[in-house]
Amino acid sequence: MAQPDGAPRMTDQITFPDVVSWAVPFFIAAILIEVLWIAMKGKGGRYETRDAVTSLIMGAGNVASGLLLGFIAYGFFMVLWALTPLDLGTSWWVIAVCFVLDDLRYYWVHRFGHRIRWVWASHVNHHSSQHYNLTTALRQTWTGTFTFMMIVRSPLILLGFHPAMVLFCGGLNLIYQFWIHTEAIGKMPKWFEAVMNTPSHHRVHHGRNARYLDANYAGVFIVWDKLFGTYVPELEEEKPDYGLVHNLGTFNPLRVAFHEWVGIFKDATQPGITWRDRLNYCVMPPGWSHDGSRDTSEEIKRKYLAHHPEKRGTPGF
Amino acid sequence: MPLHILLPLVVLGIAGIAVLLHLIGWSKPATLADDAAAKRAWLEEFPDDPPKRVVLSHDHHAALIETEKGHGVVWPMGADTTARYLTDAKISRTGKGLRIDLPDYTAPRIHLTLDAEEANQWPSLMEHPA
Ligand SMILES: [Zn+2]
Ligand SMILES: [Zn+2]
Repeated sequence: MAQPDGAPRMTDQITFPDVVSWAVPFFIAAILIEVLWIAMKGKGGRYETRDAVTSLIMGAGNVASGLLLGFIAYGFFMVLWALTPLDLGTSWWVIAVCFVLDDLRYYWVHRFGHRIRWVWASHVNHHSSQHYNLTTALRQTWTGTFTFMMIVRSPLILLGFHPAMVLFCGGLNLIYQFWIHTEAIGKMPKWFEAVMNTPSHHRVHHGRNARYLDANYAGVFIVWDKLFGTYVPELEEEKPDYGLVHNLGTFNPLRVAFHEWVGIFKDATQPGITWRDRLNYCVMPPGWSHDGSRDTSEEIKRKYLAHHPEKRGTPGF
Repeated sequence: MPLHILLPLVVLGIAGIAVLLHLIGWSKPATLADDAAAKRAWLEEFPDDPPKRVVLSHDHHAALIETEKGHGVVWPMGADTTARYLTDAKISRTGKGLRIDLPDYTAPRIHLTLDAEEANQWPSLMEHPA
């Protein structure tokens, strides 16, 4: 692709390795090590056969959906790339800056993923296991393309970061997040916990406890949560209870992948509500309902504090 | 990674991990120690609806719950449990107990393992207030 004036661009034909698929052997090896560790020590986490298989199938399906639908996001990025006059090249420091900025992008997409039901419909399946082990990391969405969250990456492309590089950084981000899905590691050294996302921080994110709802959206750097006020530390006295506020009653991967989309459809098409209600069922936070018959995370926290007033002002409340 | 390597790797990886977990013994369904455990499991899903009555299955794998709002069940989801109300449920006998069909995309079918006496009794308990 050439610039409008015909001058060749610095990063015309660049290829970055497809890091996520190359990491598959490492994922399998790490899961085997965690399984054997738990089996031998009798602590450090829990596995259950059907739960783990469902998580792994969700992971495989995520890669497949990327192969099938990835061209949509990539096509969108290439259009932006054709539009922007900026080109930062591919030097190591540009890749490093890209990685940090893409992690900021991840923070916001992830936060939207918990606060906008349309995006939650895709992300919910990552939280649908009642377990928390390395297979949970691979329980990834099949429907990410339909959330349109690729838009959040636009500024990066328009600033001159090549789409292939941005996707490379996104892949590294995903791989980083793999190892933090474990109960086998307690806390990392203090300096590391201060800057990086860790098993401890991310256990909080997967907790359905009222205290831990809507916290720790970080991908790689936990500093974003501290900066934007969504950080909650893991408390010694309150173990995270993993899963959804309303846990699934099926391991069927198709139902895991699509259940919240079906829920949105049913809610938004029910008779006797206004068009505004229909829209709200798509874009308001999960748990919103037109008649207040369901609870959002704010409502869950409020009810919890009504029963435990002494916890007001502690982390997460 | 080329697809002709990735695909067998993924299939064998998933199958291998499944067999390993099963051989270790991690396929056992959750057990509810007593009525209090069944009550706690129900409250995990419906914290606002305290059970008025709990009927624990003889094998401790499921429980029938009655609240102000109606009847529900707690049953194993692998090593954990979940719970649902039985609103508009279709209940039928199976060789091993009962099958409950629910108009719920996230829990369309619940298979309860019950002995003959329970399988005879539970459907009426599910329909009528005690
Ligand atoms: Zn999340
Ligand atoms: Zn996670």
